[in-house]
Order: sequence, then structure tokens, then C-alpha cells
Amino acid sequence: MKVSLSWLKELVNIKLTPEELAEILSLTSIGVKETTPDYLELDLTYNRGDLLSLRGVAREIAAVTGSKVLFTADSLTYGSLPSTTVEIEDEKLSPVEAVAKITGLKVGPSNPEWTKKLNDSGIRSVNNLVDITNLIMLEFGQPLHSFDAEAVENKTIIVRRAKAGEAITTLDGKIRKLTAEDIVLADTQKPLDVAGIMGGKDTEVEDSTTTILLSASLFNPVMVRRTSKRLGLSSEASKRFEHGLTKTNLLQAFAQAIKMYESLGGKLIAINLVGDLEDKPRSITLTQEKLNNLLGVEIPAKQVESYLTSLGFHPKGAPSNSWQVTLPYFRLDISLEEDVIEEVARMYGYEKIEGQSLKDEKIPEINQSFYNFLYDLKVDLKDTGLTEVQTYSFYSTQVLDNFDWDKKNLIKIANPISVETEYLREDLWPNLIDVAAKNIRQGFSDIAIFEIGKVYGPNKDHPSEDYRLSIVLMNGSDNPILELYQIFQQAMSHLRGEKLQLHLGGGDRGEYEKKYFHPKRFSFLEENGQSVGGLAEVHKRYTDNFGIKGRVAVLECELKP
Amino acid sequence: MEFKLQDLKKDYSDKINQAQNLEELDKIYLQLFGKNGEITVLPKEFGKLSADEKKVIGPLFNQIKQDLEKSIEEQRTKVKEESYKKLSGEKLALKTTKIQKRTGHLHLATQFKKEIIDLFEKLGFQQFDAPHIELDKYNFEDLNIPKDHPSRDMWDTLYIDTGNLKVEPRQLLLRTHTSNFWPRLMEQGKTPIRAMSFDRCFRYEAVDARHSHTFNQFEIAVVGENITMANLKYLSDYLLKAILGKEAKSRFRPKYYPFVEPGVGIDCLCVFCHGKGCKICSGTGWFEIAGAGMIHPNVLKATGLDPKKYTGLAWGFGPDRILMLKHSIEDIRYFLEGDLDFLEKY
Repeated sequence: MKVSLSWLKELVNIKLTPEELAEILSLTSIGVKETTPDYLELDLTYNRGDLLSLRGVAREIAAVTGSKVLFTADSLTYGSLPSTTVEIEDEKLSPVEAVAKITGLKVGPSNPEWTKKLNDSGIRSVNNLVDITNLIMLEFGQPLHSFDAEAVENKTIIVRRAKAGEAITTLDGKIRKLTAEDIVLADTQKPLDVAGIMGGKDTEVEDSTTTILLSASLFNPVMVRRTSKRLGLSSEASKRFEHGLTKTNLLQAFAQAIKMYESLGGKLIAINLVGDLEDKPRSITLTQEKLNNLLGVEIPAKQVESYLTSLGFHPKGAPSNSWQVTLPYFRLDISLEEDVIEEVARMYGYEKIEGQSLKDEKIPEINQSFYNFLYDLKVDLKDTGLTEVQTYSFYSTQVLDNFDWDKKNLIKIANPISVETEYLREDLWPNLIDVAAKNIRQGFSDIAIFEIGKVYGPNKDHPSEDYRLSIVLMNGSDNPILELYQIFQQAMSHLRGEKLQLHLGGGDRGEYEKKYFHPKRFSFLEENGQSVGGLAEVHKRYTDNFGIKGRVAVLECELKP
Repeated sequence: MEFKLQDLKKDYSDKINQAQNLEELDKIYLQLFGKNGEITVLPKEFGKLSADEKKVIGPLFNQIKQDLEKSIEEQRTKVKEESYKKLSGEKLALKTTKIQKRTGHLHLATQFKKEIIDLFEKLGFQQFDAPHIELDKYNFEDLNIPKDHPSRDMWDTLYIDTGNLKVEPRQLLLRTHTSNFWPRLMEQGKTPIRAMSFDRCFRYEAVDARHSHTFNQFEIAVVGENITMANLKYLSDYLLKAILGKEAKSRFRPKYYPFVEPGVGIDCLCVFCHGKGCKICSGTGWFEIAGAGMIHPNVLKATGLDPKKYTGLAWGFGPDRILMLKHSIEDIRYFLEGDLDFLEKY
């Protein structure tokens, strides 16, 4: 999010340069992606929804720089006014809905101050009436929507589920088909707005608009997120709803918005606030013991209290070195003692935490023999003169095509990045042939490579993945399998644990072996009478497809823990 | 001209049909279609022809050209198929032979893995690898990343097509981090835990010089009574000094990862400019190297460990990127594309 510095200075006392401010923020609060004289771009995280607003950032800056915010929380006051017609179909959709009717407005360009604030924040100025909702969203984090009152049937705003098959043309001109999983703001006839995501074209503020219905809601974050994902449509508003918003903040934002419309000559003529408008106070018990144990440093109680207080928390001393900490309404990300401890820790300063080695402890043993075996085998193969290659876990289209590979048993990716990542490899050697061909094109005439890695295949209910060893040898001779076999024998003889006791085995070849390998130069490899792999010359048909002129021998076998 | 074309066709058809191997066919192909091949240069003579002659010769020429191309291709297939038939006459003949002298190489990542594994084995860490194809539960749910939570957007995930499997759609995926090893180990309930994994992960990411959909991660997880952030600090410095030199040291910044609380980003003092600021550290004197934190109580809970009794720490980073920095490797694709010129340098 881009945070306008001049705007920020209206909200909090800052005596630091943008660079100094960025440094403090990134070490105590949140990453800063870009620092310019006009704005800071914050690297927003998925927990700190409160920082999706200028006021939230101002509060944070005040806390971490020991400064003061310059704004007050205005409450919404109005005399006796008629009610706008508002309905909430189900509290699950939005626990509150506020609608104000404001008249006497005239559409025009925004003043230069507003335009600059929007520009610094990376948002285009539309017109004065629309800009107010965007300025409020930026300052408070609460998205609002203003409808042209004339276009709203019976001047009624209903929060309801969309009906299956219902459609709406959104502000970007696209027709959006809705389902009963989507929330809409609707009038008595039609949906007006894909709730929390984008307004409808029909009720957009136009040049002729003089009366608006200003709406504020707290849409269900999960529902907004699902709709946004399904429609492939996310907006500044949907982002904020997804993080979660508060009632207290909604009321402040709503009050400020009405004031801004009044500053344009507008007159509030009707209003209605539906639902329980109070955020329930939340509190968490923090113990000194847990704090010290998790951080590994002792922070004096007074300091803990002062850090928390500056961040808007209210720690109240409780028995046995603990506090009952009331949380600020705007910190929805805090729900556990550990969350509060993080607040204390970052205010204390992570740089003050001194390293401490782990205590000597008896750790339950995890069998390491297979990991060691894999490494030893690699070293043996290397010592025999082979070079280790690691290839992607996928079959490229080149490999699939050149081998005319049967994809039936391959594990398939549901959402591949491209056709190159659509199928997982079920053997290692095809990728090694591809590697050999590439290196031959680069001028290599002797190829002696191996890979130890996982292959993937279907199983009954869960795909299987197993380690394999594959060796590919092209040594210029017309029967490279001879040398390959020697290499393998030698590497195996070096393995002290004798984990791999492979022998040439008999048995009938299947379709696969007949297709890919030399009709005579092939042998299964057996371990304890079980076939665990094979040794073969790749059928010339396939090396021809890769443009490889010489004979190529391969070995592949299972490696089991 | 017509006769000339017919003769050409006949001559070459015979030659093609008599060709016994691919080399001969390649030669014939060049004689016909090469830069100065007979078919290539012939149309230059068409200028001399009358309009009527052109009407006959044009289509004939094209026909003959196609026919010749086709018969070369057919003969190629025939020659190949015949050579394939001859393979049956060859033997396996596994007799003792000499192994040629070559200098072998371990992949750079294997060498680095060994270095790091040895380093942490000294502190009592043990390896524990988890599956690449993983359940949503271990990759996300148990790690405090619930469905429909915005933090899911932090991982662009490749999902397995479950059409032929007895698994609900979107329940199986290619793991996006090595962190799936924690819940898989933690649920065994054998504490204290001091484990590590250096293994392959996947993301939905287009490949370029800096990014790849397939990459390595190294991660440690420690669970026990009284495991602290001070321990995390110690282990960070321990690793950084060992792999980047004595001058290296760590700095923590607040960072959000759903599976840790507190969560920190770890910067390393830039060893390339001694903290003065350079291109590698974007002038800041520090470069981001890892993500870490204290294991989130929800993760402990999800795996059956009591967060009141246990605390834990975790630390993870991308070894590929460090190798790129250490060895000035400009393109991440070198790691998995098998370029021997590259692999034999190390």
C-alpha cells in the first residue's frame, strides 16, 4: 500500500526523514518496499489489516517513534431525522448496515488537496462525490459505497444473498453472474453492488447526481474472499473486507464521510444504522513467565506495560506476575498470548535479544541410515567418474513427445503453469536422455551422468513417491552397457553397508521394456529375487528422436529405505 | 524442361531407394534441397519459359518436389526400421571391460546440502524428509493456514489432478515448502524435536533467471520445553557464519508467517560489501536470507502437542539463492537443466 507522507503528517507528528521512518517501520512493524519523498510503499502482510489505513499506520508510527496521533475519534451525531429503509437478510452476511441519504450535491472535480492525496496513494480521482468514498477508505480502511439515489428502487438498501442466476453489470462494464454464495446490496428490484468487491453500473454516481445513498457494511470476510476468487475480481475494497473490519471504525468513517459531503454543500436528510453497533471488548492474559520463556530475555514489568500501552493495549496487573490485557478494537490479528508477546518483543527490539545455544538434551532418534546411504551412493558414483545431475520433477513436452510416452499412469497437475509442468515423472532416465542430448548438442561426446531423486506414480488412494537411481552412459562405443555395468558394480562394491545387493535377473519383458529398450541388450535388476529396476541400451528409435547418434546405456533402480 | 524434371525425379528416386543409411540420405537431401541443390536452383530457369509452358511446368515442379521430399522421408523411416531390425542380431555380452577415467562431480546443491547437514548434525539435529505430493492438511491446515484465509495467497500452489485417485479435489498438492515435515514429525509425539530437512519444493511460478517452479528449501524445527527466541538468534548466527564467513551475522525484522508467532524475517549483514551497501543488498548493507519464528501454538495444538508445555522454533531458507550469491550464478535454471559445463565447474 502506498502511504502518502504529506497526508500522514496530518495524522501523526513525524520528525523523521522518510528514510529514517522506513528504517524504523521495517525493523519494528512492517516491511517498506519503496521510499520516495511523497510516499512509502508498505509491504503489507496478511495479519495487520489495521495497517491498510492511514490512521492505522499513523497509530503504529506514533507507538514506535514515541510520537502522538493528531486525530480524534469523532462520533456520529445527527438530530432527529427520518430513517432510510435498510434491511439485513441474515446477520452472517453483515452484522451491521448503515445508510445515509444526502442531498443538495453537485458533481464536479475534487479540490487539489484531495486529488494529491489520491494520487500519492496510487488512486485516480474520479469526481468529488466518488473521491470521498475512496479518501475515507484510504484513511480509515473502511470501504463505503455511494449510490445515485434516483436509481435505487424505493430508496431501499437490502443486504442479501444473490439469487442463483442473478446477474449484475459492474462498474468495469462486465456482466457478473452471481450465486447464492455471493452477498449483494440490492434494492427492492435488483442487485446494486457485488458486496465488498465492486459497485454496479446502473446506480453509479453520474454527472447529474444530486442525491446519494451512502452505504457502509461489514461484509463477511470469507464470503467476500470466495466471491472475489470465483469472479477473479479483487479490489482495494475486497482486500480490506477480507482482512476484517470493525464496527467502531465503521462509525468513525461514516461520520467523517458525511462531514465531507456536507463540506460540499450536501445535506443529510435521512439515516439508518441497523445491527449491533458495538465491538465487544476482548482481552488476553499475559504472564511474565510465558513472555520470558518464549523470548529468552527478561523484560521488566514496567517496560512491558509501557510498550503495550503505546500500542493501544490496556494491560491491567493481575495476580502472579500477569496482566489482563484489553486489546485495542482495531487489532483483529491479536487473539493469543503469543500474539501479545510478539508486540512486546518488537517494541523491546529484536536486536537486543542475545543468542543462546540449545541446551544439551536427549533427542529421540530418527533413523538416518537412508539419508546417509543416499549420500554415500552419490559419492561412490562420483568417485567412479560420474557427474550428478538433478532434473525437474516433471516430464517436458519434448520428453513426452520424443518417447511417445503413455500418459495414462502419470500423476497430472490440475493447474499446470504450462504444458511443461503438466505431468510428474514416473522414471528418471527419460529426463537424463534429454540432458544427454542437450549436452551432445553443446559438443560433449562422452556422457556419464546420474541422478538420485524421486519419481511419482499412482497408488490406490494416494500417489506414491519413491527414490530412484538412474545412470546414463554414452561412451562412444557401440555397446556402452558393458562399461555401465562395470561402473555400477564398482560403485556398489564401495558401499560399506551393502544396502544395494543387485543382480541381473531374468523374466519376461513387458510392453514397456519391449518398446523402449534394445531387443537383446536388456536385463532386469533384482534384489532378493524381486525386480527393482533394469539395465539396458535405449532403443535406437528413441535416441534417434533426440538426435543422438551414438548408443546410450541406462540403468534405473529403486532405492528403498 | 518437362523431360529434365522427369529425369531428375527418376535419377533421385533411384538413388533414394538404394540409400542404405541415414548419412547417404542426408547427402541426397542436400544435393536436392541444399543452398545450391538441384531443386533449389531450378526455378531460376523458369524465367525463360513461355506463359503456356509455365502453366505446365509450375505444378509439375511442385509435385516432383513434394514427391522427392516424401520419398526421402519414407526411405529414412525404412532405413531406420531396418537398422532397428538388425538390433536383434546384437548381444548383451556382459563381459568385463575397463572403466574409462573420468572426473566425477557432485551437484552443487548436494555439496551444499552436505555442508549444512554436517553443520547441524554437530548440534544434534537429525534429518526428516516429508513427501513432495502432500495433503492440504500437512502443507496448510496443520500449519495454521486455514481454508479461505487470505494468507493462502502467500503460496501459489500446484494442485494434483485427483480425477483418477480416491481423494477429494484440491486436497492433494505439490508441497510449497519443506515445512510439511513439522506436522508429520510432531504428530508422532516424540519430543524433544531437533530436526531438519533439505529438499525440493514447488510453486506455481513461471521460470526465469531468478524464479523457478522447482527449488530447494532448508529448514530446521526445534520443539521442547523452554525453546526461546534467543535460541533462534543463536542458530541463525551459527548458520550464517558457517556458510558466509565469520563476518556474517543475523538481524531479525517482524514478518508474518501464519505458522510462527512471533514471526521474523532474517537479514544477513551483507558480506559482499561488509555492510556498506552494494548491488546485492540494494544499498542497505543487509540482505534478506530467511524466514523464521517461534512455532505457532495452533501448529503445536494441531499436531497434538500441548502449547502450554512446549515451545518451538523454526528457520527456513532457499539454498539455491545463497549458492547463486556465493558463486555469482546468474540463472537459477542452471541447477535443474543438466548443463555439464556448469555442473563440472564445481
